[in-house]
Amino acid sequence: MIEDNTQPAPIIELSGVTKEYRTKATFFSKGYTNVMAMDNISLTLQRGEIFGLVGQSGSGKTTLGRLLLKLESPTKGIMKFNGKPINDLKGKDLKTYRSKVQMIFQDPYQSLNPHLSIAETILEPLIVNKIGDIHSRKEKVIETLDTVSLAPGKEYYDRFPHQLSGGQRQRVAIARAIVLDPEFIVADEPTSMLDATIAIQLFKLLQQIRKKYNMTFLFITHNLAAAQFLCDRIAVIHDGVIVETGPTDRVIQQPEHPYTKKLIQAQPKFNF
Amino acid sequence: MTLLQVENLSVGYKTKKGILHAVNDISFTLEQGRSLGFVGESGCGKTTIGMTLMGLLPENAVITQGAIHFNGSNLLHFKDEQWRNFRGKGISMVFQAAMNALNPVIRVDEQIMEAIEVHSPDIPKTEIYKQVKNLFNMVQISEDRLRDYPHQYSGGMKQRAIIAMALACNPKLIIADEPTTALDVIVQDQILQEIKKIKKALNTSVIFISHDIAVVADVCEDICVMYGGQIVEKGKREEVFKSPRHPYTKTLLASYLSLDSDKNIKVLEIQKPPDLITLTGGCRFADSCKHKSKNCENHTPGWVDLSPTHQAFCFEDILNKDNND
Ligand SMILES: Nc1ncnc2c1ncn2[C@@H]1O[C@H](COP(=O)(O)OP(=O)(O)OP(=O)(O)O)[C@@H](O)[C@H]1O
Ligand SMILES: Nc1ncnc2c1ncn2[C@@H]1O[C@H](COP(=O)(O)OP(=O)(O)OP(=O)(O)O)[C@@H](O)[C@H]1O
Ligand SMILES: [Mg+2]
Ligand SMILES: [Mg+2]
Repeated sequence: MIEDNTQPAPIIELSGVTKEYRTKATFFSKGYTNVMAMDNISLTLQRGEIFGLVGQSGSGKTTLGRLLLKLESPTKGIMKFNGKPINDLKGKDLKTYRSKVQMIFQDPYQSLNPHLSIAETILEPLIVNKIGDIHSRKEKVIETLDTVSLAPGKEYYDRFPHQLSGGQRQRVAIARAIVLDPEFIVADEPTSMLDATIAIQLFKLLQQIRKKYNMTFLFITHNLAAAQFLCDRIAVIHDGVIVETGPTDRVIQQPEHPYTKKLIQAQPKFNF
Repeated sequence: MTLLQVENLSVGYKTKKGILHAVNDISFTLEQGRSLGFVGESGCGKTTIGMTLMGLLPENAVITQGAIHFNGSNLLHFKDEQWRNFRGKGISMVFQAAMNALNPVIRVDEQIMEAIEVHSPDIPKTEIYKQVKNLFNMVQISEDRLRDYPHQYSGGMKQRAIIAMALACNPKLIIADEPTTALDVIVQDQILQEIKKIKKALNTSVIFISHDIAVVADVCEDICVMYGGQIVEKGKREEVFKSPRHPYTKTLLASYLSLDSDKNIKVLEIQKPPDLITLTGGCRFADSCKHKSKNCENHTPGWVDLSPTHQAFCFEDILNKDNND
């Protein structure tokens, strides 16, 4: 971490953040049931770090990402970005915030608009935020496609999502997220569809981007080996509660919580 | 008994820039009750093979050569009507990202009943419902969840329901395309054990597609490694993973991250995936291969036998060179 006397505020600060979903009554059951997707989460991310969030399916990882993107609001708790509360951002401030914070969604089959070509998909954020002109935008799109190894970019420009393989779609989603050079990216299982050679290249890419732009990442994953490779610190989440946080190597080599131990046990073994 | 024999299959997609050769001259066989895994990087053609076997290629696809013999018939001669009767019964497929394909407004049990009814309209409803219960037992979803809607299921439960649906008509072969990609490792492990159990109990053949070598190594007895639309190495699981010979297979294994991986794991230079529209004729992996020679750029590789069951698509001198370092 960079030493600095002025002690800048952490880029992200969550205190006591809780998210409860109220599921609608069904035809047969009256009343509501509540799902506690996140329970009293407190977390601090320093600028420039890659922070890992690991945990089982349904433990609340994506929910945290959606809250940080302000796609949803917490039921309770305070969220801060660069020292300022973001709970009540509206209008222009919200728009500015959203251009600085991006999310790579878990499932590219759902997150890409099937009616937009690859070029349009990646152009859209540039147009919405009025960045550059026609020419510079086109250049930026091709450059970004190259960055995520959809090369030559020109070949993918006019294709539609259904004309791409699953992994190629995911790379388009990544391209879309980085095209605005955001300060903070939530990457929700960005490599679960990619093979080892490409996943590791992508990790290297994230590391380069982090170094070059001092970008901060929240990296959501089931894959502890990926977290170990990429993250400075990790938090283990179980049923909406953070059960363990610490430097990645410490958590993986000396896990304290039983759930962390179980997770390490279940990692696929590949020994021949 | 040989259940499936694919011979010299090539499949392309028509695009604005010309034909994209997604699957190129692929051959493999599968015995009844055995499991075959396809691994390879994103875009190498794995799903295309599955869709061809299901007769579900999109409009712009063309099968340019080959034959697919399944249980005595050549599937490529099937008419639409024959495909409809065959799907689900002969071969069924768990599609990539299928979890999202469950109809959100129909109860899970009704969706599975429908899958059975399509093929057996004469069986009484009560009988079908018994079958549905059996299937749920098999994939270990408790009966009191039968009447749920899909959104009430967790990711792992949805995937089990999808597998139950694929099993509904007792197919001879199941193709599972990345069935565990979206699941956490604990649930993934349960699903893989489930698939192995079903295969054993019903003597079903399995084609398992994944980019994750550990997952494929767990489930499959035989392995095909693909690169750029071609199979580049095939053999028994132990042969391919213990003594990989094709340079791409070695690369793939070397980049696999595990908890005991070295932080300084050697990462290859960014490989540009081969351009599948303008093919040059040389080896498709040549650009990323550290052993490439002039030969590799100008000549098409050939199959080299490494054992009666283990082959690599490369040049003999390259394979030997690579073995010594
Ligand atoms: N819109 C919603 N309505 C009701 N419940 C919801 C909603 N969204 C999420 N949940 C519930 O909140 C919990 C947390 O979900 P979340 O998607 O954050 O999990 P996750 O950790 O991302 O899981 P996965 O690894 O499977 O993606 C789950 O129990 C889920 O069913
Ligand atoms: N409908 C289509 N039109 C044009 N090209 C297509 C179409 N569908 C797939 N392709 C291309 O064909 C190639 C093979 O795609 P396929 O979906 O079979 O890959 P895959 O091995 O399953 O990849 P993944 O692991 O990412 O799912 C890719 O380069 C893809 O972009
Ligand atoms: Mg999630
Ligand atoms: Mg695929």
